[in-house]
Amino acid sequence: MKFRKIRNILRYLFAFALNVYIMVIFHSYINFLLMIGMILFPVYSVIALMRVKKTMEFHITMPVEPMEKKDEVKVYFRIKNNTFFPIVNATIRLTVENPFYGYEGDHDLNMPMRARTETNVSYPLQMDYCGRLLVCAKQITLMDLTGMFETKLKIHEEKECLILPKGELRNQEAGQLYLKGVSEAVESKEKGYDFSEVSGIREYIPGDKLQNIHWKLSVKKDELMVKERISVSAMQLNVVVELANDNEMRLESVLELTDSITKSFVQQNLPFTLFYYSMNLKELVGTYIGNEVERQEWFSGVLYDKSYANAGIVEEMYLQEVPNESTYLYIGYPGTTEEENVVYGNQGVVAVLK
Amino acid sequence: MLFGKRKKEQLHKGDIFLTRGIYLKKPTMQNGNIVVNCFLRSVIVCMLVFGSVGGFLSSFDISYNMGLVLISYLVLSTYFSFLYATSKMIYRDLGYILFFGVFVVAIYFYRVYANSGFYAVVNRILQRAQSYFDLSGVQEYEVQIDNPYTTIAIVAIFVGMVMIIVLNIWMYSTMSLGWTVLFTFPILLIPLYMERTPAALYSMALCIGYIAVMVFKGNGHFVVFAWDTPFRVKGFKKNHVTYTQDAGIFRQVLGTFTVMFFCMVILVELLIPVAQFNGFFKKDTLRDRTKETIGNFILLGFEGLYNHYSSVGGMSGGKLGGVSTVRADYRTDLIVTYTPYSVEGVYLKGYTGGRYGDNQWESIYGDATEYVSEGERPYAGLSDTEIFQEESLKNEVTYLQDKRESGDEYSADGIMEVRNMGANVAYLYYPYYTAFPDYSIYNNHSLMPTSQGIALYDTKKYHYYPKVVWEPEFGNQYPTQMDVSKIDEVFLEVPEKNQEIIKTECERIGLTDSMTENEILQTVKDYFQDNIPYTLKPGATPRDADFINYFLTKNRKGYCAHFASAATLIFRQMGIPARYVEGYAFSLEAALTSEIDDSKDYYRYYNGYSMIGESAVLDVEVNDSMAHAWVEVYVDGFGWKVVEVTPSSMEESDEEDFWSAFSGSWRYSGEDTVLDDIPQVSEIDLTDYLFVVYIILSVFLGFMLLAFGKMAWRKGKRYQKCHQKNQIEALIALYADVCDRIRVCDVSFDACKSHMEQLRYMVDHYAVEVDIQECSHCLEQISYSENMITEEQVQMLRMHVIQIRKALWKSVPFCKKIKLLMR
Repeated sequence: MKFRKIRNILRYLFAFALNVYIMVIFHSYINFLLMIGMILFPVYSVIALMRVKKTMEFHITMPVEPMEKKDEVKVYFRIKNNTFFPIVNATIRLTVENPFYGYEGDHDLNMPMRARTETNVSYPLQMDYCGRLLVCAKQITLMDLTGMFETKLKIHEEKECLILPKGELRNQEAGQLYLKGVSEAVESKEKGYDFSEVSGIREYIPGDKLQNIHWKLSVKKDELMVKERISVSAMQLNVVVELANDNEMRLESVLELTDSITKSFVQQNLPFTLFYYSMNLKELVGTYIGNEVERQEWFSGVLYDKSYANAGIVEEMYLQEVPNESTYLYIGYPGTTEEENVVYGNQGVVAVLK
Repeated sequence: MLFGKRKKEQLHKGDIFLTRGIYLKKPTMQNGNIVVNCFLRSVIVCMLVFGSVGGFLSSFDISYNMGLVLISYLVLSTYFSFLYATSKMIYRDLGYILFFGVFVVAIYFYRVYANSGFYAVVNRILQRAQSYFDLSGVQEYEVQIDNPYTTIAIVAIFVGMVMIIVLNIWMYSTMSLGWTVLFTFPILLIPLYMERTPAALYSMALCIGYIAVMVFKGNGHFVVFAWDTPFRVKGFKKNHVTYTQDAGIFRQVLGTFTVMFFCMVILVELLIPVAQFNGFFKKDTLRDRTKETIGNFILLGFEGLYNHYSSVGGMSGGKLGGVSTVRADYRTDLIVTYTPYSVEGVYLKGYTGGRYGDNQWESIYGDATEYVSEGERPYAGLSDTEIFQEESLKNEVTYLQDKRESGDEYSADGIMEVRNMGANVAYLYYPYYTAFPDYSIYNNHSLMPTSQGIALYDTKKYHYYPKVVWEPEFGNQYPTQMDVSKIDEVFLEVPEKNQEIIKTECERIGLTDSMTENEILQTVKDYFQDNIPYTLKPGATPRDADFINYFLTKNRKGYCAHFASAATLIFRQMGIPARYVEGYAFSLEAALTSEIDDSKDYYRYYNGYSMIGESAVLDVEVNDSMAHAWVEVYVDGFGWKVVEVTPSSMEESDEEDFWSAFSGSWRYSGEDTVLDDIPQVSEIDLTDYLFVVYIILSVFLGFMLLAFGKMAWRKGKRYQKCHQKNQIEALIALYADVCDRIRVCDVSFDACKSHMEQLRYMVDHYAVEVDIQECSHCLEQISYSENMITEEQVQMLRMHVIQIRKALWKSVPFCKKIKLLMR
């Protein structure tokens, strides 16, 4: 930007000098007109720049709902110029960030500002990894029409969108693991018992199990109502998720497997408690998950946290803090020895009963 | 493609990498945007070309079909704009071929219109130039179709079309103001030089065009193609994204300029009109210094540029040798009122040369200071009046007067009025065999204080007795038998240093003592006609060379002064008294192109025998191209008569082209020439050219400095990137630089797509020892992240890259080294 400005100033001065030279040498009226134009134009341009700076508005818009990775996330940069002066060059300093992994990149977006209207630039982004897509505009540099003068405007406009993992349903494998992990549950399941009780009634949201639908109430209210259940079992399954990342980005596979397993659990109405190590809190965090909402909330919470480098820390903490629990489901990287009761994910990540 | 992003780029082909795992997707360009963008761009091109060509025409007050031209420009610029922005090269090529076909057909069918339009424009410029530079004799071109309103429009379309094609390319590739100005402004320098100003409309169009180019270039929003995405990435780190889908801003900015410049132009024209503006300048250095050169150029073409001295048409007063090229100014020197009576030309006598020496013909009066003793002077002892009687051929006139009075059938007498409009005032310019009423008041000698020629705008009336028919006995004697006792011996004198060459020339011509005077005269005339070409550009005579010797031995080409001088000495050598004469001569054909003065009575101006019967009284405008040199020979029994020895100018040989002539002139100016001795005829004065040379050199140096500055700036930037604090970034830049260098030397390097392939190429071609696997791995690593290789690996990689760079420099040939340096 600085180079461009200097280059433009030099270019303008050269053009001006050449024009004056021709005017003087040839006594050229057309060059005289051009000279007047070249004097007035920067003045007009700077005045326009100042006016625009005073009155402009800038906003970022992003989808509110969480998206899945590889989805196109439409970010809109809306810049409103309330004056009659168009600006060709408005450069927005943008930071695009995925705080979960700690990936961050700065770049400039150069866009025009039409006069008396809002210029709306659709900025389609795509995230390859899960996390939070955070777009932050810190500064807008406005350049005048001659490209010689610029003015900076400090702003702080920030918007974010959660990018969730996209795991496939693996009901059978997940169910088997659950059964093995929770012996009591196995027996009860065979008898058709349910170790949960209704804690409330709510409206149906897609993904809820059919068996939870409160048919009588639904008929009465003329819309589907669902019984919210909380587990009353003392022997629910603990799931320990490893959020350590490595060079091969295997954490993505861990999250995908976690998504698959937990989604299957929820769909089969199998309650569980998810444990992970929070880098923000520096402690083990356990969350009881009984339904899809809770599961998605947990994912959101996790993605607001950060991944870490040292694998094994979560298991270590888990074993320290929950010593009485005998069996738990570990989702993470495979150990050195061959293990039984394993479900494999991509890149060799595992969900294993320990 | 470099730095290991290849795999990622395959997954995200065309996407813009923002940070790890986050990409800006590649949306497609909206067609509407392309259309608007192309159209607006074509408007800029149209404005520039219209401003330039229309401004040029309007400066010369040339009216043309503006609507047709404007619509054509708009259509053409839109066509090429869309053509250049098409998504496939094949469409562009086909479009150009199609256009070329249409162009060929159009130029074939409209060639007469185009020619006529072109000549109409040229004629108008020449008319303006004629009045501005005060030129005479400017020839106009014949126009086949006399409908300038249409023909000029057609030629304007053809010229504008070429400009549109070229400008359109610059508009899309670089939006360069420099090239834009270079293509559109120089055409306006012609009217500007002649103090003609383009109309306000065109000035406005041009100004808007220039400012638009400057703004779009300065802001970087100008490159839009159909294959583009709305986002264009720039910068070394590719971290500057420009949103190019902004045709609306083009429209608004153009609208703003138009309103602003419209108001400004109107306001300025009201406040400071052209006349007031011109009053600001007290001096006009450019025109003062170049007006004559440009005038010469208009009159003579390129010859006028190097043949840069004041007009050397007209009288030279017997001074020879300094003229490289005879250049007439075609201004009227004399107006001669007379009645034609013969098919022979009319000779108006001015200067008479007697003795030849030091490359000049001395006056027959002689200059007392030039002679050692009074006795050496021609006509020594005679008074000026007596000398003038001799010079003006009083004896011959008396002979003819007697004949006329005796009622001779072939005798005649007439009145000739000669008005001096710009000829040298030292001479009388009288026709042959003029009877002066009082010889004592005349002397035709410019060096004498009492000299009396025709003053400027003064008219002399001469009563003359033309000798229309020559008796056969005159000139039939052998020179040895002629009675030359009454003739001053000066007229038989051949200078010693010329004698040998003149003798040789006489032998070469085939002159013998057995020839009569008339035979000698005819043989010399024929020889000159057949063997020595006439040219107005003989080149100057070198300083130490004798004018006649140089002409007869080395140069063997020349104009009238050469032929007359050589012939005079040849005749003298053969024993015929001869003298060199300068004056004006015009043919009957030239006279017949003059205006007939009906108000004057023929018989008042001519009586007696006429070879062509009764004619009319003509006012003949004699310009300096009619200045001439000839020979007077003595005819026993009659006296002096005119002999024309100069070959016809139709035989002119101009084998020299511009550059050889120019270099020749330059060369002469460097050698010792006789020019310094002859003040009246000037050589090329290089100091007059110096400012032009300075300007050309300044422009050239400016461009060179700009080019070197750009190169140095690029190099500096590269150096800065390769030596930045962040070692990883510096390494990436260094590797990119080396790859770029290799690419400059060998384009086949482009085929190597991965780091592995690139490194293998380097190892194979430059014989460096590099661990390809390791280096490739490291490069892949640093391409993805900020710091994922160790310090040692960075150092190792840097060392290898530098090693490759050195090996490359050593291995490439010299020409490639230059290319690398100029990179």
